[in-house]
Amino acid sequence: MRTLGLIRSGIACTIQDSGRMGHQQNGIPPGGAMDMYALRMGQHCLGHSDNQAALEFAYGDLAFETSHPCRFIVTGAPTIISIGHSERDSGRIEETPAHQVVTIKSCGQGIYSYLHVAGGFNTPPELGSRSTSPRERIGGLEGRHLRDGDTLPLGAQINQPNLEYLSNPAVRQRDVLPLRFVPGFQFDAFLDAARQTINSHVFSVTPRANRMGIALDGEPVDTGVVSLLSEATCYGAIQIPPDGKPIILLNDRQTVGGYPKAGAVISADCQRLVQARPGQRVKLVAITPQEADRITWLEHHYLETKLS
Amino acid sequence: MAFAVGPAGNLGLRLVFSKTPEPSLTYGLLSIQAAAKQAFSDSLIDSIVGYTTLTLFFRPLVLDRERAQRWLEEQAEQIGSLADALATSCRTVTLPVLYHPSVAPDLEWLAEHQNLSVDNVIERHSKTPYFAYATGFAPGFCYLGTVDERLATPRLSTPRANVPAGAVAVADRQTAVYPCASPGGWRLIGACPTPLFDLHSDPAALLSVGDTVKFEPISMDDFRTLQARQDKA
Repeated sequence: MRTLGLIRSGIACTIQDSGRMGHQQNGIPPGGAMDMYALRMGQHCLGHSDNQAALEFAYGDLAFETSHPCRFIVTGAPTIISIGHSERDSGRIEETPAHQVVTIKSCGQGIYSYLHVAGGFNTPPELGSRSTSPRERIGGLEGRHLRDGDTLPLGAQINQPNLEYLSNPAVRQRDVLPLRFVPGFQFDAFLDAARQTINSHVFSVTPRANRMGIALDGEPVDTGVVSLLSEATCYGAIQIPPDGKPIILLNDRQTVGGYPKAGAVISADCQRLVQARPGQRVKLVAITPQEADRITWLEHHYLETKLS
Repeated sequence: MAFAVGPAGNLGLRLVFSKTPEPSLTYGLLSIQAAAKQAFSDSLIDSIVGYTTLTLFFRPLVLDRERAQRWLEEQAEQIGSLADALATSCRTVTLPVLYHPSVAPDLEWLAEHQNLSVDNVIERHSKTPYFAYATGFAPGFCYLGTVDERLATPRLSTPRANVPAGAVAVADRQTAVYPCASPGGWRLIGACPTPLFDLHSDPAALLSVGDTVKFEPISMDDFRTLQARQDKA
Protein backbone atom coordinates (compact mmCIF):
# COMPACT_ATOMS: atom_id res chain seq x y z
CA MET A 1 0.00 0.00 0.00
CA ARG A 2 1.19 3.52 -0.76
CA THR A 3 1.50 5.53 2.44
CA LEU A 4 2.63 8.91 3.68
CA GLY A 5 4.52 9.06 6.97
CA LEU A 6 4.26 12.28 8.95
CA ILE A 7 7.61 13.06 10.51
CA ARG A 8 6.52 16.43 11.89
CA SER A 9 2.79 17.16 12.04
CA GLY A 10 3.11 20.85 12.98
CA ILE A 11 0.08 22.80 14.14
CA ALA A 12 -3.58 21.82 13.86
CA CYS A 13 -2.87 19.22 11.19
CA THR A 14 -6.00 17.40 9.99
CA ILE A 15 -7.38 15.64 6.95
CA GLN A 16 -9.98 17.83 5.23
CA ASP A 17 -12.06 17.62 2.08
CA SER A 18 -14.94 19.79 0.90
CA GLY A 19 -16.93 19.02 4.06
CA ARG A 20 -19.70 16.90 5.49
CA MET A 21 -23.09 18.07 4.27
CA GLY A 22 -26.55 17.25 5.52
CA HIS A 23 -25.83 16.37 9.16
CA GLN A 24 -26.22 19.69 10.95
CA GLN A 25 -29.65 18.64 12.21
CA ASN A 26 -27.85 15.98 14.25
CA GLY A 27 -25.36 18.45 15.67
CA ILE A 28 -22.52 17.62 13.28
CA PRO A 29 -20.79 20.68 11.80
CA PRO A 30 -19.86 20.72 8.11
CA GLY A 31 -16.09 20.93 8.71
CA GLY A 32 -14.07 20.87 5.48
CA ALA A 33 -11.04 22.86 4.36
CA MET A 34 -10.89 26.33 5.92
CA ASP A 35 -9.56 27.74 2.62
CA MET A 36 -11.85 26.00 0.16
CA TYR A 37 -10.20 27.71 -2.87
CA ALA A 38 -6.82 26.32 -1.86
CA LEU A 39 -8.37 22.86 -1.54
CA ARG A 40 -10.12 23.01 -4.91
CA MET A 41 -7.12 24.40 -6.75
CA GLY A 42 -4.71 21.80 -5.39
CA GLN A 43 -7.06 18.93 -6.12
CA HIS A 44 -7.72 20.30 -9.59
CA CYS A 45 -4.01 20.58 -10.38
CA LEU A 46 -3.54 16.89 -9.53
CA GLY A 47 -6.52 15.89 -11.67
CA HIS A 48 -8.62 14.92 -8.66
CA SER A 49 -12.29 15.58 -8.09
CA ASP A 50 -13.20 18.53 -5.84
CA ASN A 51 -14.07 16.44 -2.84
CA GLN A 52 -10.86 14.47 -2.42
CA ALA A 53 -8.99 15.12 0.78
CA ALA A 54 -5.81 17.06 1.56
CA LEU A 55 -3.76 17.61 4.72
CA GLU A 56 -4.57 20.97 6.24
CA PHE A 57 -1.93 22.50 8.54
CA ALA A 58 -1.57 25.90 10.18
CA TYR A 59 1.48 28.18 10.21
CA GLY A 60 3.29 25.97 7.68
CA ASP A 61 5.46 23.52 9.56
CA LEU A 62 5.40 19.97 8.26
CA ALA A 63 7.77 17.14 7.35
CA PHE A 64 6.86 13.89 5.64
CA GLU A 65 8.08 11.03 3.52
CA THR A 66 6.23 8.66 1.21
CA SER A 67 6.59 4.91 0.73
CA HIS A 68 6.62 5.27 -3.07
CA PRO A 69 7.60 8.02 -5.53
CA CYS A 70 4.83 10.60 -5.38
CA ARG A 71 3.45 13.71 -7.06
CA PHE A 72 2.23 16.41 -4.71
CA ILE A 73 1.40 20.09 -4.50
CA VAL A 74 1.13 22.50 -1.57
CA THR A 75 -1.47 25.29 -1.80
CA GLY A 76 -2.97 27.92 0.51
CA ALA A 77 -0.69 30.02 2.73
CA PRO A 78 2.64 30.22 0.83
CA THR A 79 5.45 27.94 1.98
CA ILE A 80 8.98 26.90 1.05
CA ILE A 81 9.33 23.21 0.20
CA SER A 82 12.62 21.37 0.66
CA ILE A 83 13.16 18.05 -1.10
CA GLY A 84 16.68 16.94 -0.23
CA HIS A 85 18.89 19.99 -0.81
CA SER A 86 16.62 21.74 -3.24
CA GLU A 87 14.24 24.44 -2.12
CA ARG A 88 11.28 25.85 -4.01
CA ASP A 89 8.12 27.91 -3.58
CA SER A 90 4.78 26.19 -3.05
CA GLY A 91 1.99 26.23 -5.63
CA ARG A 92 3.70 23.95 -8.15
CA ILE A 93 3.47 20.22 -8.79
CA GLU A 94 6.48 18.44 -7.29
CA GLU A 95 7.80 14.89 -7.43
CA THR A 96 9.44 13.19 -4.49
CA PRO A 97 11.29 9.87 -4.54
CA ALA A 98 10.36 7.14 -2.05
CA HIS A 99 11.58 7.68 1.53
CA GLN A 100 12.88 11.17 0.81
CA VAL A 101 12.24 13.61 3.67
CA VAL A 102 10.23 16.60 2.44
CA THR A 103 9.94 19.61 4.72
CA ILE A 104 7.52 22.51 4.41
CA LYS A 105 8.15 25.87 6.07
CA SER A 106 5.98 28.95 6.29
CA CYS A 107 6.88 32.18 4.45
CA GLY A 108 5.30 34.23 7.25
CA GLN A 109 2.06 34.93 5.41
CA GLY A 110 -1.39 33.41 5.82
CA ILE A 111 -2.42 30.59 8.13
CA TYR A 112 -3.63 27.40 6.43
CA SER A 113 -1.64 25.44 3.84
CA TYR A 114 -2.71 22.23 2.12
CA LEU A 115 -0.65 19.23 1.12
CA HIS A 116 -2.34 17.38 -1.75
CA VAL A 117 -0.87 14.06 -2.83
CA ALA A 118 -1.69 12.33 -6.11
CA GLY A 119 -4.11 9.46 -5.42
CA GLY A 120 -5.51 11.29 -2.41
CA PHE A 121 -5.58 10.39 1.28
CA ASN A 122 -7.48 7.16 1.60
CA THR A 123 -8.74 7.27 5.18
CA PRO A 124 -12.30 5.90 5.48
CA PRO A 125 -15.04 8.49 4.85
CA GLU A 126 -17.52 8.86 7.71
CA LEU A 127 -21.01 10.25 7.09
CA GLY A 128 -19.98 10.93 3.51
CA SER A 129 -16.75 12.83 4.15
CA ARG A 130 -13.09 12.38 5.13
CA SER A 131 -13.03 15.75 6.91
CA THR A 132 -11.86 15.60 10.51
CA SER A 133 -14.09 17.05 13.24
CA PRO A 134 -11.90 16.59 16.32
CA ARG A 135 -14.57 17.75 18.81
CA GLU A 136 -17.02 15.17 17.47
CA ARG A 137 -14.23 12.62 16.87
CA ILE A 138 -15.45 12.01 13.34
CA GLY A 139 -13.54 11.55 10.09
CA GLY A 140 -9.84 11.81 9.24
CA LEU A 141 -7.60 9.44 11.15
CA GLU A 142 -9.49 8.25 14.25
CA GLY A 143 -11.35 11.56 14.30
CA ARG A 144 -8.34 13.43 15.68
CA HIS A 145 -5.56 15.90 14.93
CA LEU A 146 -2.61 14.21 13.28
CA ARG A 147 0.54 13.54 15.29
CA ASP A 148 4.23 13.00 14.58
CA GLY A 149 4.73 9.44 13.39
CA ASP A 150 1.23 8.93 11.94
CA THR A 151 1.06 6.88 8.75
CA LEU A 152 -1.66 7.79 6.24
CA PRO A 153 -2.93 5.52 3.45
CA LEU A 154 -2.73 6.95 -0.08
CA GLY A 155 -4.82 6.06 -3.12
CA ALA A 156 -3.32 4.89 -6.42
CA GLN A 157 -1.62 7.63 -8.42
CA ILE A 158 -3.54 7.33 -11.68
CA ASN A 159 -4.60 10.75 -12.90
CA GLN A 160 -2.39 13.03 -14.93
CA PRO A 161 -1.96 16.56 -13.57
CA ASN A 162 -4.29 19.18 -15.04
CA LEU A 163 -2.08 22.15 -14.28
CA GLU A 164 1.56 22.47 -13.25
CA TYR A 165 1.27 25.78 -11.50
CA LEU A 166 -1.24 28.18 -9.97
CA SER A 167 -1.39 31.40 -8.05
CA ASN A 168 -3.59 31.67 -5.02
CA PRO A 169 -5.87 34.70 -4.94
CA ALA A 170 -6.80 34.28 -1.28
CA VAL A 171 -3.51 35.32 0.27
CA ARG A 172 -3.04 38.98 -0.60
CA GLN A 173 -1.95 41.55 1.94
CA ARG A 174 -4.47 44.28 2.68
CA ASP A 175 -4.27 47.06 5.24
CA VAL A 176 -7.94 46.69 6.13
CA LEU A 177 -9.66 43.54 4.96
CA PRO A 178 -13.30 44.22 4.07
CA LEU A 179 -15.72 41.60 5.41
CA ARG A 180 -18.97 42.03 3.51
CA PHE A 181 -21.93 40.61 5.39
CA VAL A 182 -25.64 39.98 4.87
CA PRO A 183 -27.54 41.29 7.90
CA GLY A 184 -29.81 38.77 9.59
CA PHE A 185 -33.16 39.20 11.31
CA GLN A 186 -31.71 40.18 14.66
CA PHE A 187 -29.69 43.07 13.25
CA ASP A 188 -32.80 45.28 13.15
CA ALA A 189 -33.40 44.58 16.85
CA PHE A 190 -29.88 45.75 17.82
CA LEU A 191 -29.51 49.17 19.45
CA ASP A 192 -28.70 51.96 16.96
CA ALA A 193 -25.29 52.42 18.57
CA ALA A 194 -24.52 48.72 18.12
CA ARG A 195 -25.46 48.81 14.44
CA GLN A 196 -23.32 51.90 14.01
CA THR A 197 -20.27 50.31 15.70
CA ILE A 198 -20.59 47.21 13.54
CA ASN A 199 -20.90 49.27 10.36
CA SER A 200 -18.11 51.76 11.03
CA HIS A 201 -15.55 50.39 13.49
CA VAL A 202 -12.30 48.82 12.35
CA PHE A 203 -11.88 45.56 14.29
CA SER A 204 -8.80 43.36 14.40
CA VAL A 205 -8.22 39.62 14.23
CA THR A 206 -7.14 38.16 17.61
CA PRO A 207 -5.09 35.02 18.30
CA ARG A 208 -8.34 33.45 19.58
CA ALA A 209 -8.85 31.90 16.19
CA ASN A 210 -9.31 28.30 15.16
CA ARG A 211 -11.45 26.14 12.92
CA MET A 212 -14.55 26.93 15.00
CA GLY A 213 -14.32 30.68 14.64
CA ILE A 214 -12.26 33.85 14.76
CA ALA A 215 -12.68 36.34 17.60
CA LEU A 216 -12.32 40.01 16.70
CA ASP A 217 -11.11 42.75 19.00
CA GLY A 218 -12.29 46.34 19.07
CA GLU A 219 -14.95 48.52 20.59
CA PRO A 220 -17.38 46.23 22.45
CA VAL A 221 -20.80 45.96 20.80
CA ASP A 222 -23.72 46.28 23.20
CA THR A 223 -26.52 44.77 21.14
CA GLY A 224 -29.26 45.40 23.71
CA VAL A 225 -30.60 41.94 22.82
CA VAL A 226 -30.84 39.86 25.99
CA SER A 227 -31.30 36.20 25.20
CA LEU A 228 -32.50 34.19 22.26
CA LEU A 229 -33.67 30.68 21.61
CA SER A 230 -30.96 28.61 20.00
CA GLU A 231 -31.19 28.51 16.22
CA ALA A 232 -28.99 27.16 13.43
CA THR A 233 -25.69 28.99 13.04
CA CYS A 234 -24.46 29.69 9.54
CA TYR A 235 -21.02 29.87 7.99
CA GLY A 236 -19.63 33.34 8.60
CA ALA A 237 -22.20 34.22 11.30
CA ILE A 238 -21.20 37.33 13.27
CA GLN A 239 -21.98 36.23 16.80
CA ILE A 240 -21.90 38.81 19.60
CA PRO A 241 -21.22 37.13 22.98
CA PRO A 242 -21.81 38.98 26.28
CA ASP A 243 -18.35 40.64 26.19
CA GLY A 244 -19.41 42.46 23.00
CA LYS A 245 -16.44 41.23 20.92
CA PRO A 246 -17.70 39.67 17.66
CA ILE A 247 -16.79 36.10 16.76
CA ILE A 248 -17.04 34.99 13.12
CA LEU A 249 -18.25 31.38 13.11
CA LEU A 250 -16.54 29.03 10.66
CA ASN A 251 -16.36 25.39 9.54
CA ASP A 252 -16.25 23.62 12.93
CA ARG A 253 -18.80 25.91 14.64
CA GLN A 254 -21.43 24.46 16.93
CA THR A 255 -24.48 23.88 14.76
CA VAL A 256 -26.85 25.91 16.94
CA GLY A 257 -26.30 28.97 19.08
CA GLY A 258 -28.29 31.41 21.16
CA TYR A 259 -26.07 34.51 21.11
CA PRO A 260 -27.28 37.52 19.12
CA LYS A 261 -26.00 37.56 15.54
CA ALA A 262 -25.58 40.64 13.35
CA GLY A 263 -25.67 38.57 10.18
CA ALA A 264 -23.14 36.50 8.29
CA VAL A 265 -19.95 37.38 6.42
CA ILE A 266 -20.25 36.14 2.82
CA SER A 267 -18.32 32.97 1.97
CA ALA A 268 -15.93 34.74 -0.42
CA ASP A 269 -14.70 37.07 2.34
CA CYS A 270 -14.56 34.26 4.92
CA GLN A 271 -12.03 32.59 2.61
CA ARG A 272 -9.78 35.64 3.01
CA LEU A 273 -10.46 35.99 6.73
CA VAL A 274 -9.35 32.43 7.50
CA GLN A 275 -5.91 33.28 6.08
CA ALA A 276 -5.61 36.53 8.10
CA ARG A 277 -3.02 36.55 10.86
CA PRO A 278 -3.69 38.03 14.31
CA GLY A 279 -3.51 41.82 14.17
CA GLN A 280 -5.03 42.02 10.65
CA ARG A 281 -7.50 44.90 10.64
CA VAL A 282 -10.97 44.14 9.28
CA LYS A 283 -14.07 46.16 8.56
CA LEU A 284 -17.60 44.81 8.43
CA VAL A 285 -19.62 46.11 5.49
CA ALA A 286 -23.36 45.38 5.22
CA ILE A 287 -24.55 44.39 1.73
CA THR A 288 -27.87 43.17 0.32
CA PRO A 289 -28.51 39.45 -0.31
CA GLN A 290 -28.68 40.26 -4.05
CA GLU A 291 -25.22 41.85 -3.96
CA ALA A 292 -23.94 38.79 -2.06
CA ASP A 293 -25.36 36.52 -4.78
CA ARG A 294 -23.61 38.59 -7.45
CA ILE A 295 -20.25 38.30 -5.64
CA THR A 296 -20.73 34.54 -5.16
CA TRP A 297 -21.36 34.23 -8.90
CA LEU A 298 -18.27 36.27 -9.78
CA GLU A 299 -16.02 34.34 -7.38
CA HIS A 300 -17.14 30.97 -8.71
CA HIS A 301 -16.74 31.98 -12.32
CA TYR A 302 -13.34 33.46 -11.58
CA LEU A 303 -12.31 30.15 -10.08
CA GLU A 304 -13.77 28.16 -12.98
CA THR A 305 -11.81 30.36 -15.37
CA LYS A 306 -8.59 29.90 -13.41
CA LEU A 307 -9.04 26.16 -13.38
CA SER A 308 -9.95 25.63 -17.02
CA MET B 1 -49.15 32.96 13.25
CA ALA B 2 -46.67 35.79 12.72
CA PHE B 3 -43.57 34.78 10.78
CA ALA B 4 -40.77 36.24 8.69
CA VAL B 5 -38.45 34.87 6.02
CA GLY B 6 -34.99 36.35 5.49
CA PRO B 7 -31.36 35.60 4.71
CA ALA B 8 -29.12 33.33 6.79
CA GLY B 9 -25.78 34.26 5.28
CA ASN B 10 -25.23 34.36 1.53
CA LEU B 11 -26.25 30.75 1.01
CA GLY B 12 -29.17 30.34 3.35
CA LEU B 13 -32.73 31.34 4.16
CA ARG B 14 -34.35 31.35 7.57
CA LEU B 15 -38.04 31.10 8.48
CA VAL B 16 -38.74 32.51 11.96
CA PHE B 17 -42.00 32.37 13.89
CA SER B 18 -42.45 34.94 16.63
CA LYS B 19 -44.11 32.79 19.25
CA THR B 20 -43.33 30.53 22.21
CA PRO B 21 -41.96 27.13 21.18
CA GLU B 22 -44.51 24.33 21.31
CA PRO B 23 -44.75 20.84 19.78
CA SER B 24 -47.33 21.83 17.15
CA LEU B 25 -44.99 24.53 15.82
CA THR B 26 -42.10 22.01 15.70
CA TYR B 27 -44.29 19.53 13.79
CA GLY B 28 -45.12 22.26 11.31
CA LEU B 29 -41.44 23.18 10.86
CA LEU B 30 -40.57 19.51 10.35
CA SER B 31 -43.23 19.21 7.64
CA ILE B 32 -41.85 22.24 5.84
CA GLN B 33 -38.34 20.79 6.17
CA ALA B 34 -39.51 17.53 4.55
CA ALA B 35 -41.28 19.45 1.78
CA ALA B 36 -38.17 21.57 1.17
CA LYS B 37 -36.06 18.43 0.66
CA GLN B 38 -38.54 17.40 -2.05
CA ALA B 39 -38.92 20.84 -3.61
CA PHE B 40 -35.22 21.76 -3.76
CA SER B 41 -33.67 18.25 -3.80
CA ASP B 42 -29.98 18.44 -4.70
CA SER B 43 -29.68 22.20 -4.42
CA LEU B 44 -30.49 22.03 -0.70
CA ILE B 45 -27.34 20.99 1.15
CA ASP B 46 -28.57 21.15 4.74
CA SER B 47 -31.60 22.15 6.79
CA ILE B 48 -32.04 22.63 10.52
CA VAL B 49 -35.20 22.92 12.62
CA GLY B 50 -34.68 25.02 15.76
CA TYR B 51 -37.18 26.00 18.48
CA THR B 52 -39.11 28.44 16.30
CA THR B 53 -37.00 28.46 13.14
CA LEU B 54 -36.24 26.49 10.01
CA THR B 55 -32.93 27.27 8.31
CA LEU B 56 -32.16 26.08 4.77
CA PHE B 57 -28.66 26.08 3.26
CA PHE B 58 -28.26 25.94 -0.52
CA ARG B 59 -25.46 24.97 -2.87
CA PRO B 60 -23.69 28.08 -4.22
CA LEU B 61 -25.11 29.54 -7.45
CA VAL B 62 -28.35 27.58 -7.46
CA LEU B 63 -30.32 29.62 -4.94
CA ASP B 64 -33.12 31.56 -6.64
CA ARG B 65 -33.61 33.78 -3.62
CA GLU B 66 -36.97 35.28 -4.61
CA ARG B 67 -38.49 31.97 -5.60
CA ALA B 68 -37.27 30.13 -2.50
CA GLN B 69 -38.43 32.96 -0.28
CA ARG B 70 -41.92 32.90 -1.82
CA TRP B 71 -42.05 29.13 -1.46
CA LEU B 72 -41.15 29.34 2.25
CA GLU B 73 -43.74 32.05 2.82
CA GLU B 74 -46.45 29.97 1.17
CA GLN B 75 -45.52 26.97 3.34
CA ALA B 76 -45.49 29.10 6.48
CA GLU B 77 -48.99 30.40 5.72
CA GLN B 78 -50.40 26.88 5.90
CA ILE B 79 -48.25 25.58 8.75
CA GLY B 80 -51.28 24.74 10.90
CA SER B 81 -52.63 22.12 8.51
CA LEU B 82 -49.15 20.67 7.91
CA ALA B 83 -48.55 20.20 11.63
CA ASP B 84 -51.64 18.05 12.17
CA ALA B 85 -50.58 15.58 9.50
CA LEU B 86 -47.19 15.04 11.09
CA ALA B 87 -48.16 14.97 14.76
CA THR B 88 -49.39 11.38 14.55
CA SER B 89 -46.27 10.01 12.85
CA CYS B 90 -43.68 11.05 15.47
CA ARG B 91 -42.10 8.53 17.79
CA THR B 92 -41.93 8.02 21.53
CA VAL B 93 -38.56 6.84 22.84
CA THR B 94 -38.17 5.47 26.37
CA LEU B 95 -34.74 5.86 27.94
CA PRO B 96 -33.73 3.93 31.09
CA VAL B 97 -32.10 6.12 33.75
CA LEU B 98 -30.26 5.30 36.95
CA TYR B 99 -30.93 8.14 39.37
CA HIS B 100 -28.27 7.56 42.03
CA PRO B 101 -25.69 9.86 43.66
CA SER B 102 -22.86 7.55 42.57
CA VAL B 103 -23.51 8.48 38.92
CA ALA B 104 -25.28 11.81 39.48
CA PRO B 105 -23.15 14.36 41.38
CA ASP B 106 -25.92 17.00 41.48
CA LEU B 107 -28.90 14.80 42.44
CA GLU B 108 -28.68 15.37 46.19
CA TRP B 109 -27.69 19.00 45.72
CA LEU B 110 -30.76 19.61 43.56
CA ALA B 111 -33.09 17.95 46.09
CA GLU B 112 -31.67 20.06 48.91
CA HIS B 113 -31.61 23.25 46.85
CA GLN B 114 -35.27 22.83 45.87
CA ASN B 115 -36.37 21.56 49.25
CA LEU B 116 -37.50 18.22 47.88
CA SER B 117 -36.63 14.64 48.73
CA VAL B 118 -34.38 12.79 46.28
CA ASP B 119 -37.29 10.44 45.52
CA ASN B 120 -39.47 13.41 44.75
CA VAL B 121 -36.86 14.83 42.34
CA ILE B 122 -36.73 11.46 40.58
CA GLU B 123 -40.50 11.26 40.42
CA ARG B 124 -40.86 14.76 39.04
CA HIS B 125 -38.15 14.23 36.43
CA SER B 126 -39.37 10.83 35.24
CA LYS B 127 -43.15 11.30 35.26
CA THR B 128 -43.23 13.96 32.51
CA PRO B 129 -42.97 13.00 28.84
CA TYR B 130 -40.57 15.44 27.19
CA PHE B 131 -40.57 16.87 23.71
CA ALA B 132 -37.41 17.11 21.56
CA TYR B 133 -37.39 20.75 20.46
CA ALA B 134 -33.93 21.09 19.01
CA THR B 135 -30.57 19.40 18.49
CA GLY B 136 -27.07 20.78 18.64
CA PHE B 137 -24.15 21.26 21.04
CA ALA B 138 -22.80 17.78 20.19
CA PRO B 139 -23.74 14.94 17.81
CA GLY B 140 -26.96 13.35 19.03
CA PHE B 141 -27.60 15.99 21.74
CA CYS B 142 -31.30 16.86 22.00
CA TYR B 143 -32.82 19.74 23.96
CA LEU B 144 -35.85 18.28 25.76
CA GLY B 145 -38.66 20.23 27.44
CA THR B 146 -40.40 21.12 29.52
CA VAL B 147 -38.99 20.30 32.97
CA ASP B 148 -41.15 20.54 36.10
CA GLU B 149 -40.98 24.05 37.55
CA ARG B 150 -39.65 22.78 40.85
CA LEU B 151 -36.61 21.22 39.15
CA ALA B 152 -35.65 24.34 37.20
CA THR B 153 -32.11 25.32 38.18
CA PRO B 154 -29.52 27.63 36.70
CA ARG B 155 -26.46 26.15 34.98
CA LEU B 156 -23.15 25.83 36.82
CA SER B 157 -21.30 29.15 36.72
CA THR B 158 -18.16 27.22 35.73
CA PRO B 159 -18.95 24.29 33.44
CA ARG B 160 -17.44 20.90 34.31
CA ALA B 161 -14.45 20.07 32.11
CA ASN B 162 -15.66 16.53 31.63
CA VAL B 163 -19.24 15.29 31.75
CA PRO B 164 -19.40 11.53 31.05
CA ALA B 165 -21.36 10.05 28.15
CA GLY B 166 -24.91 9.14 29.20
CA ALA B 167 -25.16 11.83 31.90
CA VAL B 168 -28.78 12.93 32.34
CA ALA B 169 -28.85 16.64 33.03
CA VAL B 170 -31.17 19.57 33.73
CA ALA B 171 -30.76 23.31 33.18
CA ASP B 172 -33.56 25.86 33.52
CA ARG B 173 -36.67 24.11 32.19
CA GLN B 174 -34.70 21.84 29.86
CA THR B 175 -33.29 18.36 30.20
CA ALA B 176 -30.94 16.28 28.06
CA VAL B 177 -28.65 13.26 27.89
CA TYR B 178 -24.98 13.93 27.00
CA PRO B 179 -24.31 11.56 24.05
CA CYS B 180 -20.52 11.61 24.51
CA ALA B 181 -18.03 12.82 27.09
CA SER B 182 -17.73 16.60 26.80
CA PRO B 183 -17.50 19.75 28.88
CA GLY B 184 -20.91 20.80 30.22
CA GLY B 185 -22.60 23.23 32.56
CA TRP B 186 -25.89 21.44 33.21
CA ARG B 187 -26.74 19.76 36.56
CA LEU B 188 -26.24 15.99 36.47
CA ILE B 189 -29.05 14.00 38.06
CA GLY B 190 -28.83 10.56 36.44
CA ALA B 191 -27.11 8.22 33.98
CA CYS B 192 -28.56 6.57 30.90
CA PRO B 193 -26.90 3.36 29.63
CA THR B 194 -28.46 3.58 26.13
CA PRO B 195 -26.06 5.05 23.54
CA LEU B 196 -27.49 8.19 21.94
CA PHE B 197 -25.06 8.48 19.07
CA ASP B 198 -23.30 5.76 17.12
CA LEU B 199 -21.62 6.49 13.80
CA HIS B 200 -22.14 2.90 12.71
CA SER B 201 -25.90 2.91 13.23
CA ASP B 202 -28.35 4.32 10.73
CA PRO B 203 -29.48 6.88 11.74
CA ALA B 204 -26.43 7.69 13.85
CA ALA B 205 -28.47 9.75 16.34
CA LEU B 206 -31.07 7.93 18.46
CA LEU B 207 -33.19 11.03 19.07
CA SER B 208 -34.41 13.55 16.57
CA VAL B 209 -36.44 16.75 16.74
CA GLY B 210 -40.14 15.98 17.18
CA ASP B 211 -39.61 12.83 19.25
CA THR B 212 -41.31 12.37 22.60
CA VAL B 213 -38.89 11.08 25.23
CA LYS B 214 -39.75 9.29 28.47
CA PHE B 215 -37.27 8.53 31.24
CA GLU B 216 -37.77 5.27 33.10
CA PRO B 217 -36.04 4.91 36.50
CA ILE B 218 -34.04 1.68 36.74
CA SER B 219 -32.15 -0.06 39.54
CA MET B 220 -28.38 -0.22 39.91
CA ASP B 221 -28.50 -3.90 38.88
CA ASP B 222 -30.46 -3.14 35.70
CA PHE B 223 -28.09 -0.27 34.94
CA ARG B 224 -25.06 -2.56 35.26
CA THR B 225 -26.69 -5.25 33.11
CA LEU B 226 -27.57 -2.76 30.37
CA GLN B 227 -24.12 -1.20 30.51
CA ALA B 228 -22.41 -4.58 30.29
CA ARG B 229 -24.58 -5.42 27.28
CA GLN B 230 -23.45 -2.16 25.61
CA ASP B 231 -19.80 -2.81 26.39
CA LYS B 232 -20.10 -6.23 24.77
CA ALA B 233 -21.76 -4.78 21.66
